[in-house]
Amino acid sequence: MAGHKPPQPQGSLGTIYNQGTLRVVVLACLVIILSVILTGAINYYVARDAVLGKLKTKDMLNIVDAIGSKIDGRIERAKETSLSLAHDPAVIAWVSSGETDDIRGDIAKARLEGVFCSYDYANTFIVSAVTNHYWAEGARLLQVMSPTDPSANWFFTDLTLRQSVIVDIDYNKNRQDTFIFVNALIGDVEQPLGIAGVGLSLKSLAQDFQRFKYSENSNLWLIDQNGKIQLADNLSHNGFYLNDIISADLVAAITADRGTAAKHPVTLEYTDAGGQVFDLAYQNTRTTDWKLVVRIPRNESLSILDNIKGNTTASCLIVLLSLIFVFYLVSRRIANPLQQALRLNREMERQVLDRTQELSRQNEKIMDSISYAKRLQEAILPTEEEMSGLAAEHFVIWQPRDVVGGDFYWSRRLGEEQHLLALCDCTGHGVPGAFMTMAVNTLLNHIVARGVSHPAEVLTALHREFKATLHRNPAPGITDDGLDIGLCLIDGPNRLFYAGAKLSLYMLRGGTVSVIKGDRRSIGYRRSGDDLQFTVHEIQIQKGDRFYLATDGYTDQNGEVSEYPFGKKRLIAGIKSCEKLPLNEQALWFNTYLEEYRGTEMQRDDITLLGFSLK
Amino acid sequence: MEVLYIEQTKSTPRVEFNATSGKLSIEGQSYPENAFRFYEPVFGWLENYLNATDQEVVLDIYFHMPYINTSSSKCIMMMLEILEKSHQQGKKVMVRWYYDAENEEALECAEEFKEDLAMPFEIKLTEGV
Repeated sequence: MAGHKPPQPQGSLGTIYNQGTLRVVVLACLVIILSVILTGAINYYVARDAVLGKLKTKDMLNIVDAIGSKIDGRIERAKETSLSLAHDPAVIAWVSSGETDDIRGDIAKARLEGVFCSYDYANTFIVSAVTNHYWAEGARLLQVMSPTDPSANWFFTDLTLRQSVIVDIDYNKNRQDTFIFVNALIGDVEQPLGIAGVGLSLKSLAQDFQRFKYSENSNLWLIDQNGKIQLADNLSHNGFYLNDIISADLVAAITADRGTAAKHPVTLEYTDAGGQVFDLAYQNTRTTDWKLVVRIPRNESLSILDNIKGNTTASCLIVLLSLIFVFYLVSRRIANPLQQALRLNREMERQVLDRTQELSRQNEKIMDSISYAKRLQEAILPTEEEMSGLAAEHFVIWQPRDVVGGDFYWSRRLGEEQHLLALCDCTGHGVPGAFMTMAVNTLLNHIVARGVSHPAEVLTALHREFKATLHRNPAPGITDDGLDIGLCLIDGPNRLFYAGAKLSLYMLRGGTVSVIKGDRRSIGYRRSGDDLQFTVHEIQIQKGDRFYLATDGYTDQNGEVSEYPFGKKRLIAGIKSCEKLPLNEQALWFNTYLEEYRGTEMQRDDITLLGFSLK
Repeated sequence: MEVLYIEQTKSTPRVEFNATSGKLSIEGQSYPENAFRFYEPVFGWLENYLNATDQEVVLDIYFHMPYINTSSSKCIMMMLEILEKSHQQGKKVMVRWYYDAENEEALECAEEFKEDLAMPFEIKLTEGV
């Protein structure tokens, strides 16, 4: 992403800071939002599963179980009541007497009335098989049972069932109510005297149903074998078939289930035509063939989660907002070190600048000092007039590597037509070299002042006196100093004597250059003996002869292309090639000649090149 | 003895003295600001080595130095004198000095060194480039 960003202009501190902070904050927020949403979602689904699990394995089963127990409990109680009525000795005696025993009759009627008044039964009754009289609560003789009356069928059927208690369910149109009649046989089961029992109104159970209502649109139904709703918490469902409310297939499955549902509640879920999901549980009642069915819309059972959802969302938002806020603050703190680093950088730059200024001040002082030293060093060099005095034509390239250096040239007029001209290359460059030149200059002046003028003698004397002057103390380590020198004694217009210590004199005559080599020993070195002798070369000068003296700085200069030294051959070739050029104009030429070779390379050594012709 | 190894720089040569093989080599330009300081450890090693070795040891020293400034050349000369001394003491010393064809200064320099010495001193042209 960052890679596709257009290049930012080198911004101010603010830009860097803002970009950094913004990026950190945005990134952090994205991460937090993602993790909060993820955690929220996980929490929601975990809670949802827990709620649904609890609903299916506990809540619905508890409802079904509780209602079932309630109904069963009441029927059980009704059974006991019926049995106690049927087994009452007064009742048995009264019925067996054909209701002639009035004393027992009163007791029996009082029992009937007592049961009716003490409990919430819809009715209580004693039906005699002897007289076929139907006695109801309130000592009322309601009817005489006739085998031909269909409404009395139950009586004659039950008498033959040989069961001590029979539960009959009957819908009474007049009362618009379903009654559960619990009939107990009076007397011997094989030869019953009649039936005593109680009637339970289902409507009285409706209150219990409503108490177990789970949620607003949850349903609780009691259905019979045919799927007819006998009792519902919603009274308007009474009398309908369950098929009218839920799919027929499902109802068929429920009513057909006579196995598992007999003992344990069964749970299932389904989606109706409208896409609404429902959880459903059913169970047989123990005392009847009826089933209790509880149905809860999924969205209502999960409605408690809505609260959780809302709360979680709210707390997530709060957490998110506070995290963003905290993060923003923290990132400012993180970004701050950057600013501090930049400030520090500025401070350091300022200090570096101060130091640099200090250094450049120091450098300036040193350079001032060296510049002054240069003036001193230049002061010992022969003046232009002195040079013109001894030579017909001449040029000088004097180019120390570091402002001042170890190279210098020297001349002295000895007589009308006698001159000494020397070129010296002292070891070292820069200030140490310059020190040496000052010493050597003085020594030469002294030696010549004493009247020594022959080149070889001058060199011998210089060697001895140099050692005496500069090597008075034992050397520290292995250091050693000395100098190379070429010394010409120009004797009148026709003769030149040359003596050299490691320095050669180049002579151009008739287009060829001859090299008059100096001796292969330097002057002044501690390790050479005091008594050094030097060779003197005598040259008969011809008209047009040109002489050149060069320190090794010229011939040893390395080139840009070649790392090798410039070399004597090139120097000699140069001397030849500018034969036609007046000596006075050759300084520039030889400078250019060397510079072309040197290119961008540094000057390696102090450079001096002298060229002269004699009068 | 330890191997003496000095890395090459622009202004100082690479020095590799191996006592075990008896091979010593100095290669590269030499124009340090203070040549004596640079060569001091080289002398030290060489003297220790020569004092320590017996007479049978052959010392083969290889030079290839395209440029030597004045003070470095003094140092090289001192080194050669040390070798010359041990040659005179009967040790087998062999100096081989290489120069590049285009570098006449180096040849001249080597010839000047050789002139003062009696020990075997070969001056050879480098091969290749």
